[in-house]
Amino acid sequence: MAVYKRRYNPYSGSLTPEWSRFFVLTRYAFGDLFKSRFFVILLILSLVPILLFASYIFVANNKTVQLLMQVRSADLFKVEAQYFVIIMTVQTQAAFLLNCWVGPVLIAGDLTNGALPLFLSRPFSRADYVLGKFAVLGLLLSAVTWVPCLLLFTLQSGLAKGGWIWSHLWMVVPIVLCSAIWILMLSLLSLAVSAWVKLRIVATGVIFISFFIPAGLGEMFNAIMSTKWGILLNFSYLFRLILEKGFHERTGQLGRGWDEIPVPAAWGVLIFVCLLSLVILNARLRARETVRG
Amino acid sequence: MNPTIELNGLEVQLGNRTILHGLTGVLKSRAIGLLGPNGAGKSTLINTLLGFHSPSKGSARVLGLDSHANGKALRSLVGYMPENDAFISKMSGVRFVRYMAEVSGLPPDQAMERAHEAFVYVGLGEARYRPVGTYSLGMKQLAKFAQAIAHGPKVLILDEPTNGMDPPARKRLIELIREIREASDICLLLSSHLLRDVEETCDEVLILRNGQIASICNLVEERRANRKFLELETIGAEATFRSTLEGLGCECAVFSNGRIKVVMPENIEIREVFRVAADKGVQIRRMNHRRDSLEDIFLNAMEQTGAADGRI
Repeated sequence: MAVYKRRYNPYSGSLTPEWSRFFVLTRYAFGDLFKSRFFVILLILSLVPILLFASYIFVANNKTVQLLMQVRSADLFKVEAQYFVIIMTVQTQAAFLLNCWVGPVLIAGDLTNGALPLFLSRPFSRADYVLGKFAVLGLLLSAVTWVPCLLLFTLQSGLAKGGWIWSHLWMVVPIVLCSAIWILMLSLLSLAVSAWVKLRIVATGVIFISFFIPAGLGEMFNAIMSTKWGILLNFSYLFRLILEKGFHERTGQLGRGWDEIPVPAAWGVLIFVCLLSLVILNARLRARETVRG
Repeated sequence: MNPTIELNGLEVQLGNRTILHGLTGVLKSRAIGLLGPNGAGKSTLINTLLGFHSPSKGSARVLGLDSHANGKALRSLVGYMPENDAFISKMSGVRFVRYMAEVSGLPPDQAMERAHEAFVYVGLGEARYRPVGTYSLGMKQLAKFAQAIAHGPKVLILDEPTNGMDPPARKRLIELIREIREASDICLLLSSHLLRDVEETCDEVLILRNGQIASICNLVEERRANRKFLELETIGAEATFRSTLEGLGCECAVFSNGRIKVVMPENIEIREVFRVAADKGVQIRRMNHRRDSLEDIFLNAMEQTGAADGRI
């Protein structure tokens, strides 16, 4: 089918492995994302705090700089579990904002003009499709959460003396696990919203609402029923609880929930949100609508 | 060799409604037309062949591959052009086709090359860098066609390909379909409301009515069988004219006002009819040389209450 010949020739060349084809969706989505100046600015802004955190770690481990800054208290620059809780808190909020911008367009763009049957009429399953779209958010949110956090951990390990790394190695587990559940929940939730709502602005609003409305309802439930379980509808709170329990650090922002809400319940709710999002995706991502008659 | 499409008691239910009622038939030709009135089940059959719907009973096979059990293997052979809008509006035409070719498994450089070639081939070379959302309806049809052929499928499934196209564009697309069919060993399944589209591109026709097979007709054989079919309007000695023609091996049916229908055997030329008419002093006032058109076959199938084995 050479252009100049203007005739059809069947394709007889090599094919890419089937397992790798989901990544085509990821690659094209990143290609489209990086065309947006706003996205690039947002991504850079999400990574700026990492530079500040890294500077802090450098100063904390450099006595000369501390002397130059005339710092007298030895406790002012302290890199312990609480510091990593702060890093994780800041970066997961940045991830939330990035997700609100990127997530809503990932599936809606394909559904708006009926492109889904084109994907599914190829050797490409719905699971491949979701995996391809999920990988976009998974990679992006990882790049602003656990990856820089582990880099900071490595930096601190390198600069600190006295076997700091061995006494703090356990922190790698909460860094990775807490980021994983947050990324999983945010990604699946925004993909599910993207599959339902076609307009970006509305979809972004729905993602915000899905965090704030249940939290408000939970508070009402607590007030009316005089209970504590309504807090299970506050996803941000549950994540914070998992984070602080994971690092064994009480920052005092969780109030009575620190003692009263069991961590498995918090994990259970976040996993339930992920499963619910998958059910919505399963219902929405069909090559053809079935009219029930 | 495996038949192109094989249906074994295929029944498909959507919700509580049965859309396809136990379809059974074998279609062996390389170019198959799918005809039927609205709601006959054409799109449901295509969706079932693509594995979008699971059969509730029976099975469907394309080139020997079960649409349900071997869905992925089957879809790796298919290029599909859906009836409805199917594109990504913000992507440029060539990027859209390249994207689809890559999803089909072509390496990026090959996909890029084939996307350009497909776009030029369908006649959209000048518009390939414009976003697909800005295309006219006819151009969108051509872009859908380009994505269906870019990865070089073995089975091309076209659902109403000429919808919304002006006559020259329609003619061009039909020519492309015929060219592709002739230039390769590709199998074609074309669903259309336009009988002429099917007649011009297909060798065999599956006619559906109310989710059942109204008829399966081999157009090649049909054309051959009715190669010489004459409608005459005569004045003069009809009876002797008729008997002489029958003596030559023709089948004749005489109607009022001197109208005669003649089915001629292979070895008789039309000039023989003129010679007999001149010998018998019969004036031929009008002659219509035609064969059974697909329209006749389609209308006949629609009128039948139920074909014995689905074949006419």
